[in-house]
Amino acid sequence: MKKTWLTALLTAGLAVSLVGCGAGEKSNSPKESGASATNASGEKVKLSIWHNYTGDDLRAQTMRATLEQFQKDNPNIQLDIQGIPPDGYRARLKTVAAANEMPDLFVMWPGVMTKEFHGGDLLQPINELIDSKPEWKEGFLPNSFNDFTIDGNTYAVPMALSPTSILYYNKKLFADQNVQPPKTWDDLMNVVDTFNKAKITPIALGNKAAWLAQSSILSSLGDRVTGTEWFLKAVAGDGAKFTDPEFVQALAYLKQLAEAKAFQDGFNSIDNTQMEQMFAQGKAAMMIDGGWALTNLAANASPEALADMGATVLPSVPNGKGSPNSLSGVVGTGLGLSKNVEGARKEAAFKLIYTMASPEVQKKTLEGNQLVSYKVDLDKSKVSPIFAEVYSLLGTVTTTPVYDGRLSSAVADVMNNGLQELLMGGSPEAIAKKIQDAHDKELAMTK
Amino acid sequence: MQMEQKLPFSPGRGWAKISRGLINIGLSLYAIVTLYPLFWLFTSAFKTNEEFDSRPFYLPEVWHWDNLSRAWKVSAMGTSLINSTIVTIASLALTLLLGALAAYVLARFQFRLKAFLMGLFLLGMLIPIHSTLVPLFIMLKKVSLLDTYWALILPYTAFELPLAIFVTAAFLTVIPKEIEEAALIDGTGYWGIFFRMMLPLSLPALSTVAILGFLRFWNDFAFALIFISKPALKTVPLSLSVFATGYSTDYKLTMAAMTIAVIPTIVAFLMFQEQIMKGMTAGAVKG
Amino acid sequence: MTTSARIKGFILIGILPALLIYLFFVVVPIFWSAYYGFFDWKGIGAAKFIGFDNYAEVVRDPIFWKGFKNNMLIVAASVFGQVPIAMILALLLTRSNLFQKMIRASVFMPMVLSSVVVGIIWSYIYHPQIGILNFLLDSVGLEHLKKAWLSEPSISMYMIMIPIIWNYIGPYMIIFIAALQNIPSEINDAAQIDGVGSTRKLFQITLPMIWDTIKVVVVLCISGSLKAFDLIYVMTGGGPAHTTEVLASYMYNSTFNVYRFGYGSAISTSIIILSLILILGSQYLMKRDYR
Repeated sequence: MKKTWLTALLTAGLAVSLVGCGAGEKSNSPKESGASATNASGEKVKLSIWHNYTGDDLRAQTMRATLEQFQKDNPNIQLDIQGIPPDGYRARLKTVAAANEMPDLFVMWPGVMTKEFHGGDLLQPINELIDSKPEWKEGFLPNSFNDFTIDGNTYAVPMALSPTSILYYNKKLFADQNVQPPKTWDDLMNVVDTFNKAKITPIALGNKAAWLAQSSILSSLGDRVTGTEWFLKAVAGDGAKFTDPEFVQALAYLKQLAEAKAFQDGFNSIDNTQMEQMFAQGKAAMMIDGGWALTNLAANASPEALADMGATVLPSVPNGKGSPNSLSGVVGTGLGLSKNVEGARKEAAFKLIYTMASPEVQKKTLEGNQLVSYKVDLDKSKVSPIFAEVYSLLGTVTTTPVYDGRLSSAVADVMNNGLQELLMGGSPEAIAKKIQDAHDKELAMTK
Repeated sequence: MQMEQKLPFSPGRGWAKISRGLINIGLSLYAIVTLYPLFWLFTSAFKTNEEFDSRPFYLPEVWHWDNLSRAWKVSAMGTSLINSTIVTIASLALTLLLGALAAYVLARFQFRLKAFLMGLFLLGMLIPIHSTLVPLFIMLKKVSLLDTYWALILPYTAFELPLAIFVTAAFLTVIPKEIEEAALIDGTGYWGIFFRMMLPLSLPALSTVAILGFLRFWNDFAFALIFISKPALKTVPLSLSVFATGYSTDYKLTMAAMTIAVIPTIVAFLMFQEQIMKGMTAGAVKG
Repeated sequence: MTTSARIKGFILIGILPALLIYLFFVVVPIFWSAYYGFFDWKGIGAAKFIGFDNYAEVVRDPIFWKGFKNNMLIVAASVFGQVPIAMILALLLTRSNLFQKMIRASVFMPMVLSSVVVGIIWSYIYHPQIGILNFLLDSVGLEHLKKAWLSEPSISMYMIMIPIIWNYIGPYMIIFIAALQNIPSEINDAAQIDGVGSTRKLFQITLPMIWDTIKVVVVLCISGSLKAFDLIYVMTGGGPAHTTEVLASYMYNSTFNVYRFGYGSAISTSIIILSLILILGSQYLMKRDYR
């Protein structure tokens, strides 16, 4: 997920690349802050923090404002704040990690990234902080810390929530065609057929960045067919393989959708922003997208269009082993804490981690049409109707893993490209084999 | 001076007029096609995101001027423009001076290792710059240049030198040896020849190099992202890329920011182009 | 001081500053990167020395060769498309009147725009639903030719080559114009007096006079084509399913999306080696010296 092409390049200059910058750490930040730093009443505590909230959306604005407010409220803590273009963010962080120049605090993804940083011995746990505020801890949704927890130590708390696989549909178009949101696979195929006959694109898809079909469609569809347990076994390389018939069957379902012309032409060459626009403008009856779409839709779709949108989960499949009432999802990013932060700086860091994920900020984030992993009473008048609908939907379903949140980057890349190929008519068996081959290689390396 | 050059393909006067006319029409059409993206960029900067996608090729229904100010503010474009200007000018000055000097030596003198050095510089044009980022980062860190203007100026110069040397050297080899010999006999030293003769002579080449260098420095994202971390030192490309989150792209603000950023490049291009065209005069050669 | 010592001194002072900066910031990192190619390294944690394994994998990697083939297509399109077009434009645009200035400026304009803008606009031109190309085909009654231009594997690579050629003509034209300006006017005058025909003059005087520049442009063209990245990355990201992958995008993805730093380095070293071979080959072919 989340690698987009666009920013990478913004500018003739090309995309990013790795190395992170040296920033952050002690060596650099003090110089800049030196002027204003005083030693009047005890030492000033200096902390560097990297974030990717650079845009103009509500979430980014909230997070930036929170940081500024924190700085004002805590004159004895000197923050070196760096907003990094989101598309360059991971690459840069990876590079600083390679050169062992991590910032003190940084926005970190759950799952694979947390594991890798932990494996590189770059993080320290924040259990102490979480346990010191039981009320806050209880405020998070169940299992929220799982993807940040390794061997009983928790390394971050989520500041958002990303269900990846929501079936959005256009209520008006469905009513016009006199059809209901699909509950079963057959329903779906019928609906696709109906819309095709009416010359309306059944499902908008923007799979240029290639992770979308995997994170948003296959993660959930696969789970319907194989069940979660199978997937976890396959990841562990313990008793299940991607070449198993059930996974091949999941791929076959996806291929069936493409063959039934469920998606518009050229879905592999448009991006997900374009896909969301296509859906919002009523040019497609459905789209399968994540919770992030809500923020974008709220900012860019007309109120009428928003009022027409509905949300549900993917339909069930015949004889599926997974729960039909589930959707794939992960918790959002959290603040990781570098191993090098100690003493007074660590206290200050804890304070900031808490502030950035505090109930008040979670509430503000939620009111900015961004889902959170925290129990907040939603004031529905403050958000778009579709946001409110998704919010209630989430209260009724269970969450299953997102494939690229569990698979290594290399395997996820093979899977993403494989799905593009599949959607163009590739063979499910051959693609399943490619995925398993890549996964075998990865397993062999870690052993 | 301008070459009084006839069209290469025109046999007679009447024909010449007609074919010149046709050619001009063709050229105009070509120009329109190439100018269109610029026009498109400028108009897109004033749209809403919804409009950007539903009517990409039309004029905005309402001109949203506030896109520009919003983009300026959120991306901290003011600071970036200043930084980019400093870095670009410094890198250009270094590239042109060192490049011209090296090109002069490589083009006009015979010495051992000459072929080797040319080959070595050639290598520099083949490098996908992304592969050098980790090593460069570590090196810059070791010499404590990270997070200074030099962290951009020196690598930019180094990566542009091969092109500067190649283009300029190709120019200087053509200049007749006699001119230089005459100057030597007059008692002008090599430095004198370089500054008073070779530099002016290679002005068209240097302007070409300057244009290409300007674009590269002004637009570079990779080095700027990695080697600079202080917000106060950020350059323009970093400001342009803040509107894409990975899940979505705020096209209108991206376009607005790009509109702001492209204006200096157009001005610079027009300036250097003028130099290319009037730089080389027979007078200078005869000088 | 003897003359030859003076010459030597001048050569040294002339070349040394450029050489030092270049060695430090370009040559050393290249070799350093080649060295990373011998490791299995994810960027975090320990790197494991694996000898030539990465390089051996590169040689066997079908996607690498797919990228190479696509790069060759771009090289061919550039050398046989860009260079002649740029040359013709340069010959037509050597005057300094306002019209010509404007045309020159516009030919160069795509370069001034960032690749992102150019990439986005071409994506919209090719857009399967609202693209201008499909719209035009529709309006002239050629609906059956409408396509999803960038996602059909059989044509997407060619579709990408068009904007690439178009985008980079400007600089080559500029270099040619600069070279044409450099031809001493006496030579043109002499040709005029001798009554040499235009076509003959072009092939017997003009082209030979700027042959060195042409060589340089071909080198630039090849090296540029092998590094082609920006536009492709914006327009397709190398997809769908690697069909428009080029070497640089593959290197980038391997390093920064898949986090195989060692393998990415091995790819980039291989790119440099392949480029060198190609460029030396082209120089050999163009060796003929007119003068």
